[in-house]
Amino acid sequence: MTLIDPVPSHTPPLPNTPTLSFQGGTLVLYAVDQSEAVPPLFRWVKARWRCEAYHYGNLADWLRQRGVRDTIPRWQPLNLALQDGREPHDYQLEALRAWQQAGHLGSIVLPTGAGKTFVAIHAISRVNRSTLVVAPTIDLLHQWYARLANAFNTEVGVYYGGEKDVKPLTVTTYHSAGDLMANAGNLFKLIIYDEVHHLPAPSWGETALMSPAPFRLGLTATYPDQELVNRSRGQWQLDQLIGPIVYEKRLEELVGKQLADYRTERINVELTAEERRNYDADHAIYSRFVRERDLYRFGPRWWAELMRLGSLDPAARAAVLAHQRLSRLLSNAANKLDALDRLLREHAHEHILIFTESNDLVYHLSHRHLIPALTCETKAAERKAVLERFQAGEYGVLVTSRVLNEGIDVPEAKVAIVLGGSAGAREYIQRLGRVLRKVDNRSAVLYEIIVGDTVDTGRAARRRPKAATASLSAQEQP
Amino acid sequence: MLTGDLVRPRLRQQRNELRIDWLDPTNRHWQQTAAELIGLFGEQLNQPQESWQRAIESYEAGRTDYNVIRGLAKVLGDEATFQPLTTPVDPVELRARLFRRGPAYASRDLLHSATRENVLREVAVEYNINPGQLEHILYADRTAAHLLINPGPSWTPDSLIARYNLELARAALYWADQMTVHISDGFKDFWKYVKLFKLMFEGTVLGPKKGLPGITFQGYNVVLDGPISPFVSATTRYGRQLAAFLPALFLGNRWRMWATVRVPHFRKRLTYYLDDTVDLVSHFKASGEFDSRMEANFAADFHDKFGDERGQWQLTREDEVILLGDTVMIPDFGVTHKKDGRRAMIEIVGFWHPEYLTRKIAKARAANRSDLILLVYEGVNLGRERLQDMPAQVLYFKNKPVLKEVMAVVERVAV
Repeated sequence: MTLIDPVPSHTPPLPNTPTLSFQGGTLVLYAVDQSEAVPPLFRWVKARWRCEAYHYGNLADWLRQRGVRDTIPRWQPLNLALQDGREPHDYQLEALRAWQQAGHLGSIVLPTGAGKTFVAIHAISRVNRSTLVVAPTIDLLHQWYARLANAFNTEVGVYYGGEKDVKPLTVTTYHSAGDLMANAGNLFKLIIYDEVHHLPAPSWGETALMSPAPFRLGLTATYPDQELVNRSRGQWQLDQLIGPIVYEKRLEELVGKQLADYRTERINVELTAEERRNYDADHAIYSRFVRERDLYRFGPRWWAELMRLGSLDPAARAAVLAHQRLSRLLSNAANKLDALDRLLREHAHEHILIFTESNDLVYHLSHRHLIPALTCETKAAERKAVLERFQAGEYGVLVTSRVLNEGIDVPEAKVAIVLGGSAGAREYIQRLGRVLRKVDNRSAVLYEIIVGDTVDTGRAARRRPKAATASLSAQEQP
Repeated sequence: MLTGDLVRPRLRQQRNELRIDWLDPTNRHWQQTAAELIGLFGEQLNQPQESWQRAIESYEAGRTDYNVIRGLAKVLGDEATFQPLTTPVDPVELRARLFRRGPAYASRDLLHSATRENVLREVAVEYNINPGQLEHILYADRTAAHLLINPGPSWTPDSLIARYNLELARAALYWADQMTVHISDGFKDFWKYVKLFKLMFEGTVLGPKKGLPGITFQGYNVVLDGPISPFVSATTRYGRQLAAFLPALFLGNRWRMWATVRVPHFRKRLTYYLDDTVDLVSHFKASGEFDSRMEANFAADFHDKFGDERGQWQLTREDEVILLGDTVMIPDFGVTHKKDGRRAMIEIVGFWHPEYLTRKIAKARAANRSDLILLVYEGVNLGRERLQDMPAQVLYFKNKPVLKEVMAVVERVAV
């Protein structure tokens, strides 16, 4: 006989006594008949009573009364001691108290920089049971990894595309949370959603549905407008998945953190004669095509249109490739690298962060100057070590492609150097505020190295909050 | 498997249906492209992955069919083995040591007495290796640096194009929320792969369940999705699992498949339909005909004694599925009367692991069928009391089942 049994091997197959099992984000009742009155949360599907795992917290009484064997919880005491001796602020203590009084269910809304991670660490410490933290990006996952490992001086699991290692204290991403829940959702009693305003999205909300964790904490600075969520199809209600807002403080109510005092300096470099020849040739190919086909009539979709044409029309493909070469040439321009060289020497013995547009350039610079690199490829443990050594002064310079997005803490640096990079104005100001700290009364400085008389000039202008100078020429890529 | 961006350009909308723009294997242009890529890949043996990426990029040149080139290249790369370089020094440790001495520059100046070259030389001495080697080890752990150590199957242009088309067929399911299948054979492999890819199913019998062999038996209607699917509206969470599963269907000879897909850029949900007329070959291995010697012997024995034209009964292999809610039982044999179509099912219980045996017995009980005959080996590690009060028929045997006794039971219980 061929035996087919979709029940996971750790649960005994077809138990004879009433049993509640965890299966891929759902709860399944075994040996309970269809004719039996079960709580209305359950539905008779595929020959068993089943429900979404997030109802688990509401089933305790019935399970006890009915004498159902409960195989769901596989969480354990963490026995962790908090190593971080900093006292929480009053508002952080209030927030924690409010969350505990609400039955360990709900969201805490605090402005950026008010120490949400610190609140979460205290929440974990108080619950002291296996916990899963869900973060929006891999960068934030790495940050949580480092913060938790330090706060509790313990090993922390990470679960995402690059590394899959589940421990009683684990960090994952919204993207990977579904897989993790399906396989091991019942390992965690507490689940924390960082930047919880992302959770209403259809496939992300499902991850909260698939977790049996009775304790849930959402963290955000910008709680989504529930009205808006209601109107868009397929969106989830945070109240249902996490619980209500249990605590909220606005920026005005807290002591404001001031932006650091910094100045920006722009360094214009020229292309070499040979680079200029290549640049002009490629720019001509690309801009001629865009002009001749009048691609701007497509409005903001013009770049997508160019890419679409690129799979049909050799001339369009040639234009796309010319643009690609041109971008590479700009990002690797010899004089840019020389200027970087000079800046690094000028600021020797100071903390310097270098930002580039591409991973290739990050690794090139890491090779060239023997300096540590951070990219999306860097594994959690090494990332943590690199940041710590940078902070401790063991490393003077750090080169990275993209770390300073939403919510990322970056080590303090006195000098930042931007090579290329096409971030928007909002991102730009956030970056500066976070990276640069005034040291010894000398203001921090941000350098932008750009190539004069090229599309680079326009990009840098767009990076500034208000483009005071260069008007955007028509040929630029958005 | 292919990435979504490589597949989307080959998907078309035709009214409410999703069509795949298959790569025509007889087209000379594609034949030549496939042949050239296979040749290029062959040259990459012992080269790092980034060298393969560069080779593809330069091969593409200005061609507009770069999506197909990248897709074919992806198939080649996926079936091959890239492996990290073994290095005398752990790259992570080397970086830690080297970067403590950075930043370094090509030339020295007032503040920096040591050049990059000096630093490399010093550290190389500490590890007792040469500086050139050091540069190689520095980022040897990046996937870009992994070496192609085994280029995989020996491809021909035909086999590569066939496999590419198979991957297109799979990838169209990335955006599927559900798949409905009609199958009429190959049940064992079908359910084996359903289980392997952790899918859930809901099965119903299609058409008359029994009848004269090869005439009216229709098979099963099976809806495939995942555990959370019934509780949410149309989740694509299991799309990748369905895509991974798809080649299992091609192991059968008679099947049809419908999936509802929501491909980005197409406004509405489309139906994706395939059936056994499609020119796709599974790369999954079909299981052998028999799982054990005992089963093979039983079939041979039957063939010797009742197999000729005058025999009234026909023995068939695993041709019926007993649906048991979230699991199934597929008995070893069906026995069908050639004239009146009466049927019984036979399951041989031989040497099995106790846990396996327990599950098997539980299923046989759950099947609740009196036309199911269990042929139980006497030496099996199973108390007789566990087989009492079974709806199924239980017949013990010493060395091998005695056919005469078996057929007597068949005559009695077949319906």
